[in-house]
Amino acid sequence: MNYDSYPEIKPGRKTIKRIYIAVMLFIVGRAIQAAGRMDKTVRKEFQNLKDDFVFALGVHPHGPWMVVGRDTKGRARYLGWNPEGKKIPLKMSIKNVESAILVFTFQESTSVAFARNRFVVDGDLIDALAVVRVLDLVEVYLLPKLIAALAVKRYPKWSELSPVRKHIGRVAIYTRALLGF
Amino acid sequence: MFLPDYYEFCARVKTVAGHRALDKIPSMLSSLGVTRPMIITDRGVLGAGLIKLVSGAIKGSKLKVGAVYDEVPPDSEYKIVNTAAKLYRAKKCDSIIAVGGGSVLDTAKGVNILVSLGGANILEYEGAGAVKRKLRPMIAIPTTSGTGSEVTVVAVIADHQKKVKIPFTSYFLLPDIALLDSRMTKTLPPFLTAPTGMDAITHACEAYYCLAKNPLSDATALTAIRLISANILNVVKKPGDLQGRLDLANGAILAGMAFSNSMVGMVHNLGHATGGACGVPHGVCMSLFLPYGLEYNMHKRAKEIGELLFPLAGPEVYAATPLKQRPEKTIEYIRKLNQNLHDATGGRHARFLKEIVDREGRQMVPKEKLPDIARTAQGDGAKIYNPEEINYDDAMMVLEHAYEGKPLDRRKVRKG
Repeated sequence: MNYDSYPEIKPGRKTIKRIYIAVMLFIVGRAIQAAGRMDKTVRKEFQNLKDDFVFALGVHPHGPWMVVGRDTKGRARYLGWNPEGKKIPLKMSIKNVESAILVFTFQESTSVAFARNRFVVDGDLIDALAVVRVLDLVEVYLLPKLIAALAVKRYPKWSELSPVRKHIGRVAIYTRALLGF
Repeated sequence: MFLPDYYEFCARVKTVAGHRALDKIPSMLSSLGVTRPMIITDRGVLGAGLIKLVSGAIKGSKLKVGAVYDEVPPDSEYKIVNTAAKLYRAKKCDSIIAVGGGSVLDTAKGVNILVSLGGANILEYEGAGAVKRKLRPMIAIPTTSGTGSEVTVVAVIADHQKKVKIPFTSYFLLPDIALLDSRMTKTLPPFLTAPTGMDAITHACEAYYCLAKNPLSDATALTAIRLISANILNVVKKPGDLQGRLDLANGAILAGMAFSNSMVGMVHNLGHATGGACGVPHGVCMSLFLPYGLEYNMHKRAKEIGELLFPLAGPEVYAATPLKQRPEKTIEYIRKLNQNLHDATGGRHARFLKEIVDREGRQMVPKEKLPDIARTAQGDGAKIYNPEEINYDDAMMVLEHAYEGKPLDRRKVRKG
């Protein structure tokens, strides 16, 4: 019997897709930190979380990841891409790279991704929902309306987020996210 | 027919249903390789003599019941789970027979997590995905036709200190066997049959129009609604109708299969929060919030809501109602059903928040509690699966209407 005629299949690395997701996570992670200083809703969400709150969002099992926590003053802080060695009470993993691509190319909103069982939430669900609310708002700031409307269930009305507040916030968040403060 | 780009459906619970289905317990436990089950139940079930029916069914077999834990309260919490798990270990049981309503079945699932995976506190397994391997054999025998917990991947267990309901989700929470015996629901009084049946209808309706709907959950949801709608009022009026009881039990299990795979939306979101904040029984919340959930999501799900009229009201009403009027007619039909159940139970079936009272006749949901409920709802997972966004202001708006029992002013719904 020629065993070589029965090939093994080794998993591909999907390097390009992983790089894309890693870049998106980096931008979103820094943008959450920036939004926590610029937007009162995001700030309040973080102030309501526990003192040592940290969450990781990424792709199961090998990443990439982003880690965001709450500092002692109750502000959001981007803690890098590596969850190793950190105490993380809330881990939100997308089950595979392809599912993550659907989410990060905005082909699927966060809600639809949850409905399609693409996420695993390990930790307090109340905190996870707070994170989802923050992510939705950060996407509204970062993305043009046409794209953000695909990513969130309901794009904020003027009464919830005025265009002036949104555009000023967008410039400030991009600036802070790029400069990392 | 609606077909999503992607869906998942899992309903791998062996179901045994019939007028004397309990007789199968010994052979079923034997096929699972266990001999010393622990029965988990509540005082009401014990007092109604239903545990005697179960022990009668195992008489003459090689089974020995290791322990009967009968202290599950109506709204079970995590401390009860931890205590029952200790008893299971002390009595060296090897399986679980859960006999009761949703609280008992969910408690039993929690106990099964602890005794199978180890640990002393069920809260360590909170959320989705924390339970990662097969649990001990479990038979679920519902004594209400409502929760569908006998076939769901979810257990909802309260933390009374924090006033929240905590979900535990995993495919491994599916019991091995669901056993429906008409005798087990026969003694359920009309004022409990009504809200538990409406709970099951709510599962099916929300499964049919919420975000994770799929062809398999649609099929089970529609059949569930047909069975429950055709029988609920008759059974409330004639509690001894065994065939009607069995039809309701079958409807509830089908609704359970549907929502376990499609999840639920606003009605459960507000219902869980009201239950957590004010201690209102789950089925009561479901009955009164269902019309509001339909009204709130109408602009996004008019077609699906209109389609619900067929199993609810039957082919004649459906055919006689013009297409455009069907969604409204569905809501009208559910409000009418609630009214009929209210009348048939001598006013004990609540139609709106203001009229819910406890056993001493005290109002359970004072108006000043509405902000608490709306805040709690923001931390409940069911909001994710609702077609329309629900933030604090949205929840308050719906709660204020539901408090007075006024139809929703749909101009106030912010449309995404």
